Amino acid sequence: MELEREEILSAIYHCVKCKLCSISSFHPNEEWLPLCPSGQFYGYQAFYAPGRLEIFREILEGELSEPTEGLLKAVYACTLCGACYEKCKQITSVGISLPELFEKQREELVKKGWALDAHKNIAEKIKETRNAYGEKHKYKYEAKSVYGAEVLYYIGCTARYRVPEIADAMLEIFDKLGIKYQVMEDEWCCGSVLLRTGRVEDAKALMAHNVEEIKNSGAKTVVFTCPGCLMTFKKNYPDMAVELVHSTQFLTRLGDMKVKKLGMEVAYHDPCHLGRDLGIYEEPRALLKEVADVKELKREREQAWCCGSGGGVKSAYDDFALWSAGERIKEAKEVGAEAIVSACPFCKRNLREAGEKEEMKVFDVVELVNRSLEG
Amino acid sequence: MNMNQNFLKFVHAIVGEENATDDRAICASYSRDQHWHFVPAMNPAYVVRPANKEEVRKVLMLANEGKIPVIPYSTGINVRGLTIPVHEGSILLDLSRMNRIVEINPEMKTATVEPGVTFGMLLEKTRKYQLRPAFPDAPLTVSVLANYYLRGIYQTAAADGHDHTLSYEMVLPNGETIKTGSRSLSGMPYFRYGVGPDFTGVFCAHPGTCGVVTELTAKLYRLYDNRNVYFIGFDDVSTPTKFIYNLMHDELAASIRLVDNQSWLKGICGTFDYRYEELPKFVLCMLVEGVDGIFEAKDKLVGDYIKESGGKVLEFPEEFKRTFEEESLGGAEKSCMVFGLRGNYHCIGLYGPLTLAAKYYELHEKTALEVGIPTDHVHFYLDPIYSFHGQLCYVELDIFYDGSDLRFGEKLRNYNEKQFKRLLDLGIYGWFRPYAGIIEPTVARIGYLAEVWKKFLKVLDPNAIMNRGKLF
Repeated sequence: MELEREEILSAIYHCVKCKLCSISSFHPNEEWLPLCPSGQFYGYQAFYAPGRLEIFREILEGELSEPTEGLLKAVYACTLCGACYEKCKQITSVGISLPELFEKQREELVKKGWALDAHKNIAEKIKETRNAYGEKHKYKYEAKSVYGAEVLYYIGCTARYRVPEIADAMLEIFDKLGIKYQVMEDEWCCGSVLLRTGRVEDAKALMAHNVEEIKNSGAKTVVFTCPGCLMTFKKNYPDMAVELVHSTQFLTRLGDMKVKKLGMEVAYHDPCHLGRDLGIYEEPRALLKEVADVKELKREREQAWCCGSGGGVKSAYDDFALWSAGERIKEAKEVGAEAIVSACPFCKRNLREAGEKEEMKVFDVVELVNRSLEG
Repeated sequence: MNMNQNFLKFVHAIVGEENATDDRAICASYSRDQHWHFVPAMNPAYVVRPANKEEVRKVLMLANEGKIPVIPYSTGINVRGLTIPVHEGSILLDLSRMNRIVEINPEMKTATVEPGVTFGMLLEKTRKYQLRPAFPDAPLTVSVLANYYLRGIYQTAAADGHDHTLSYEMVLPNGETIKTGSRSLSGMPYFRYGVGPDFTGVFCAHPGTCGVVTELTAKLYRLYDNRNVYFIGFDDVSTPTKFIYNLMHDELAASIRLVDNQSWLKGICGTFDYRYEELPKFVLCMLVEGVDGIFEAKDKLVGDYIKESGGKVLEFPEEFKRTFEEESLGGAEKSCMVFGLRGNYHCIGLYGPLTLAAKYYELHEKTALEVGIPTDHVHFYLDPIYSFHGQLCYVELDIFYDGSDLRFGEKLRNYNEKQFKRLLDLGIYGWFRPYAGIIEPTVARIGYLAEVWKKFLKVLDPNAIMNRGKLF
């Protein structure tokens, strides 16, 4: 534990506060494009990575001993999108990623009891209902789930309870393509929201349950439409000797699905967990190009602007989350897109909310693929 | 009513509640810069984020009344501890909300900016006129105004010369506004001289100690389409000096940078992944530009000088050349890779004549060795500056190190103590920036000028609220 503390401090000491982490690479287009939603929205240095690191240093060194309003906001009003780290690692030799450091920072806060009510409520809901939204009913789907099928679709809380059209689309795709699959009878929250908000201990039981269920299912491949769930399984779960893939990876490798073009001009929004965390940039684009004309946003791939939803921000700081999404919608409008398409239920939910005012349509890749598949 | 106790209440009335705070954690985020081995962390008591000049004026007057120290802060990239409080109860005046580009005047070749405008923001707007600002060798996230006001001399493009600042307006602690140069006479802020003394220069280079500069007009420089880049290798610092002299004397190259092959060259080329260790120890990076006819003539003369330079022409990939152009004429981005060499950097930046270049480097190596800094941590670069009177060069004596190594910090402090004095003994024109540690041995040598300087500051800021403790 002591070593871990030293490692963290060493990483903090490696920040020379150049703040290049706050903008996308300038020289390719010589455009000033902010990358840090939190810093851009709140303005104080505390909301940029260098300032957040200073706060972490003072916490570790015992100089910050009270959970002030500013402390909680600076630590938790960050989507952990990792854009800062993508930029920083081009320049510095820092060993620990910034989102990992910020997760650690939250873990330290939770240990001290310095947590947000919004996050405590989510933890309580999960404890009670096993899903992050506290929904007591089960997601109703028209699935032809086959027990023992090699493919298992892990739906995730958000696609089950907030954007079910994504889960519906994925299930329909399986059916249309004649792929045998199963859905977990007793799927529990993957634990992502708990881990991202510093509640590591609370996530352990969820992970153990899901591991057991997947092992018992006999599945060889687990498909996710939620990059947050996928990243959590890859990063935080023990090895289950099964393949873990995102829906866009799974569908791309099927080859020709006989889809038809929908005649839409869309912009693709890289979800942070899918892109920066898992390095999956090409498959969603390849899939989308099969069904629509794709326009690239100015900030894309490693330097994509976050939708504003992740890291527990949506539940705690919805104004900030919607502002971030609004910025992304504006960017999509600038390139002349009629819709913005992502590959993450969390992104879709937040972008959709922000897009309502802007009259921008929002889809997940699998929704468009489903529409374009011959029924 | 006690001013200090009620300060925040008054300030909230000026800037709005969301733009001023005494929250311990928010203040902590302003507590250190990269110079923490020399300037210990200290939190300001308040962070205030004014939106305009009038708000700055009201906050300053309030602070002046309460004799509360004020630290002006622009875009948040600060070095040498210049914005780290020395005194308890200080106000950090975060000016990043003031980020308007007030004017770009392509006919006059000028830009007028507020403190929160960065070099990146400015170039984005000026390039459409084929113009650019003069760039510091600092990340393009830094403030144009703060950098020009701090020094007014830059050298990534030697051709830009110095004195990039034309005029500015500054709010004093008593609430008065001073306008310098032609700005004081008319609505044309495009000329620096001719209104009494050169106050534009007089107020420069005391880091935030006179007042708060709220608007500054600077020169813009032309961007040319015709460009050529050369990289010439040398085994030591003295061999290329004749070559540099010729280039400067005949005014041939826009950018001339002599760097060692293990530090800045990596940033100039934009990658860590190259066989730098196989190159000559020093590499002269050079960019020639100009309009049709003149460009070709310059390029031919440069080619002739290269042949007699004693150096080795290095064949680098095309993208290295492109990166060098971008870094020199478009602002430092990849150059900041030097921060990644070992995690932190220490540098002494100074102005001096080219004739002493080799001796500066020799002294750098010698002092570092004496205090136990390994040779492979010792780095160097030199940029000559037009119009080259006094053979003016910017010299940087760099040490890249692991910032988490506290024992190394001790070595660096020993290095500084010896090196400042030795450099003054050897002879320099001046420092890149004044700061605690460097200013004391300097003031001890400048005689009555130091008294005049102190009295001058006393007139402007009788309560010594402006960045108190950063100079004297």
